[in-house]
Amino acid sequence: MANHSQLGFQDASSPIMEELIEFHDHALMVALAICSLVLYLLALMLAEKLSSNTVDAQEVELIWTILPAIVLILLALPSLQILYMMDEINEPDLTLKAIGHQWYWTYEYTDFKDLSFDSYMIPTADLPHGHFRLLEVDHRIVIPMESPIRVIVTAGDVLHSWAVPALGVKTDAIPGRLNQTSFITTRPGVFYGQCSEICGANHSYMPIVVEATPLKHFEAWSSLMLS
Amino acid sequence: FKLLGFLDVKSVPCARESVLYGSLGSFVVGLGHFLATSRVRRSCDFAVGGFICTMLGYWFYCRYNLAQQRIRQRMLKEGMRNKILFEGSSFDPEKKQTGNESSNS
Repeated sequence: MANHSQLGFQDASSPIMEELIEFHDHALMVALAICSLVLYLLALMLAEKLSSNTVDAQEVELIWTILPAIVLILLALPSLQILYMMDEINEPDLTLKAIGHQWYWTYEYTDFKDLSFDSYMIPTADLPHGHFRLLEVDHRIVIPMESPIRVIVTAGDVLHSWAVPALGVKTDAIPGRLNQTSFITTRPGVFYGQCSEICGANHSYMPIVVEATPLKHFEAWSSLMLS
Repeated sequence: FKLLGFLDVKSVPCARESVLYGSLGSFVVGLGHFLATSRVRRSCDFAVGGFICTMLGYWFYCRYNLAQQRIRQRMLKEGMRNKILFEGSSFDPEKKQTGNESSNS
């Protein structure tokens, strides 16, 4: 989860999120180069070194057509690579359905047997010491780590969005529509997210908690939940 | 510290070196052009261009090497896990290799 006053990304826990963070760093470096150029031109204008003659020549027209084209290519190529990477079909080991309601999530594991449960936020008054306020839930999603997981997201009433920043996942939950996303967790851990589409009074109070565990523990957990 | 308020040079790999090498490149190109031509304004233009080109050039070089290193790390991690997992079993590549050596000799 994010620390207090954290502005940057959380540490990546899936390969897609690692790629997204790398692309973000790359885009910021390109932005730094452009900002440096713009600051320099601003300084020239303030010092009255730029005139209409400077900006009226054919050469400068060529430069300010080709340079933005190069910048766009530098940004578009890695961006498209990640976009297609996110859409790869990877034969998921597990399919999980996430259904958004006002104001809780319902999760269904129906691959083998019908396992279904609701996930409500734990109110602050009932939160044990040391747990995270507005993030903990009564029933977490437990998934096996290092396995491709497919999540099918929908909603039962209004728009919601199932998002877990550490895994690089955000999928809209639209009533009457099934949206699919997939991810692999690279390490065990507990990953927090929150509903990311305004859905009413308690929109901020329907968090998502994903617990990635070794397969053995996942099997034990699912047996416990089914019994 | 965030350069221009948005680039965290401390935590982004290769960012600090890119900015420092860019500054050095800017200084060298700008000073070199000035010493050669004695034109201040044009030297400043070259200095800014040198900063951008050196910074981006080192950035791509460093990120490329970093990506290669990360791929090697992943292969190593996968190899170590497979070695532990398959040691002594029929999938152990070392067992197949020693089996081939003994059949050849």
